[in-house]
Amino acid sequence: MSLLEVKDVNKSFGGLAALSNINLSVDEGTVHAIIGPNGAGKSTLLNVMIGLIEADSGTVEFDGRSLSNVSPHDIIQRGIARVFQTPQIFPELSLRENVAIAGLARRDGKFKMNALQSPRRTAEVYDAAEDLLEDMGLKDLVHEEAQHLSRGDKRRLELAICLAAEPRLLLLDEPTAGMSRHDTNQTIDLLKKLAERGTTKVVIEHDMHVVFSLAERISVLAQGQIIADGAPDEVRGDPKVEEAYLGGAHL
Amino acid sequence: MSARSKAPASARNGLTIAVFAAVVLSMPFWLPLIGGYEALATKIVIWAIFAVGFDILLGFTGYLSFGHAAFFGTSAYTTGLMLKHVSADVLPAMGASILVTVFLAFLLGVITLRRAGIYFAILTLAFAQMFHVAALSIFQGWTGGDNGLTMSTRPELLGIPMTGLNVFYFAAAIAIVGFYIALRIRNSPFGLMLRSIKSNAMRLEYTGVYVRAYKQIGFMISAVYAGVAGSLMVIYEPYVATKFLHWSTSGEIVIMSVIGGVGTLIGPMLGATFMLYFQNVVQAFIGEQWKLVLGIIFMLVVIFMPGGFMEGLRRLRGAVTPGGASGAGADSTASARQPAE
Repeated sequence: MSLLEVKDVNKSFGGLAALSNINLSVDEGTVHAIIGPNGAGKSTLLNVMIGLIEADSGTVEFDGRSLSNVSPHDIIQRGIARVFQTPQIFPELSLRENVAIAGLARRDGKFKMNALQSPRRTAEVYDAAEDLLEDMGLKDLVHEEAQHLSRGDKRRLELAICLAAEPRLLLLDEPTAGMSRHDTNQTIDLLKKLAERGTTKVVIEHDMHVVFSLAERISVLAQGQIIADGAPDEVRGDPKVEEAYLGGAHL
Repeated sequence: MSARSKAPASARNGLTIAVFAAVVLSMPFWLPLIGGYEALATKIVIWAIFAVGFDILLGFTGYLSFGHAAFFGTSAYTTGLMLKHVSADVLPAMGASILVTVFLAFLLGVITLRRAGIYFAILTLAFAQMFHVAALSIFQGWTGGDNGLTMSTRPELLGIPMTGLNVFYFAAAIAIVGFYIALRIRNSPFGLMLRSIKSNAMRLEYTGVYVRAYKQIGFMISAVYAGVAGSLMVIYEPYVATKFLHWSTSGEIVIMSVIGGVGTLIGPMLGATFMLYFQNVVQAFIGEQWKLVLGIIFMLVVIFMPGGFMEGLRRLRGAVTPGGASGAGADSTASARQPAE
């Protein structure tokens, strides 16, 4: 069953067509990778999906409901989470607070007037946050300020924030960008472990090693158009993809 | 894990409140010992209420309002008009002032919170100045214009005359409750949301949180503190000065907050105490140049102790107790740990 439907989406920036006639369907429970050369429109597509950028035409439907004219926090509340290319965390707050925020957003919805709520009533949320951080291998740092983390750990923290919201769909924008091979492999293992939870994922990625380790389906984007779409093996052998993506080199 | 680490936190809050109450309630006794006087204690307590509320906006949420005089002043005029024309009892006057402040803060919040940073500061400043000008012109008949609003009747609380120490203890009780509420807010999910707005509003929105709503309510809570302070100011001295609406009142609360330590709740109150003590007591020893000296002190604090008096206290504590006194719960703006790369 398709969880996310992108239908006939067009977006141009000052005459430059960033996305033209994009049709994409993400099936529930799968890992769907979007690949393509720099400037192909991958991030724009992700931004359209989450309402950060409004499409000129076309619709995005999540679970059968349109996402157009829905504010970002409402989109997230419906069950989508997003990992950004540069990790977006709360630098001045401790790791457990970082993750608890998402837990509270999950528990209390987009707004709740709980200015006098006793810390005892939030203990469960903080406990769950610490458990999640332990799963991420950040157990020893739960009381540290997030700004003191290494880049790889910041990514892991952001992933923990997203997972604490228990999303049905997780959008990952280059989750291993700028990581060492070691950190990259660790992230792949982590994401594979997450696959067991059944969370649907859309991954934008440059690193083919990551893509072919994770993805069950791949869409190839070039110059704002989808030029190939299918299982990894089909895409790997597609001459059109090799041409567009690597100028003819073998994937 | 957190159940264990939470218990000492609430115990620490209880201790903080107890010490705070003891220091505040005994102020009429110890302040004269260092050259102050009873009425100054009342003024300090009133400004402390203003400062704590201001810190909920500036310290937690990270929004620098340069227009809080609008709430302080409008509430003061409301109290003055109520005392003069409706009833000499302070309760209906304060009730009406709070209602007016809430309404005003709702409107100003909707308009100004669309912007952040310097634009928010300028917008709030512009609106507050509009109120000041309006009080001096179109509303002159009500406000008394440049002369201010004078009253002949003495305010009272359920028949008790609000003079001298009665006003002080009334204001002190409100300050203690106000500080307690601010501490509760800081430890609540709501307080965490405000602090995360300051830290990364975009991430918060993309975590499914309605950022605008939290900002709006935080702004209104902060305004109510300012309104209560403005109202108490008129009860303390049954007179409303146009200065209450002037931008210099907004500026003063900003300086108090910065000099004391933004975001620490206690710091801004210390800042208020220091400023009022300086303006009223130390001034007499320095003479005409006291404003210059105050300016230099402000500069030195901002340059060498950006965290204000509270940072100074933390450093002092760190120097006295070897190994440092850095608790996990303490705000560690001062600790400059190396980022682990």
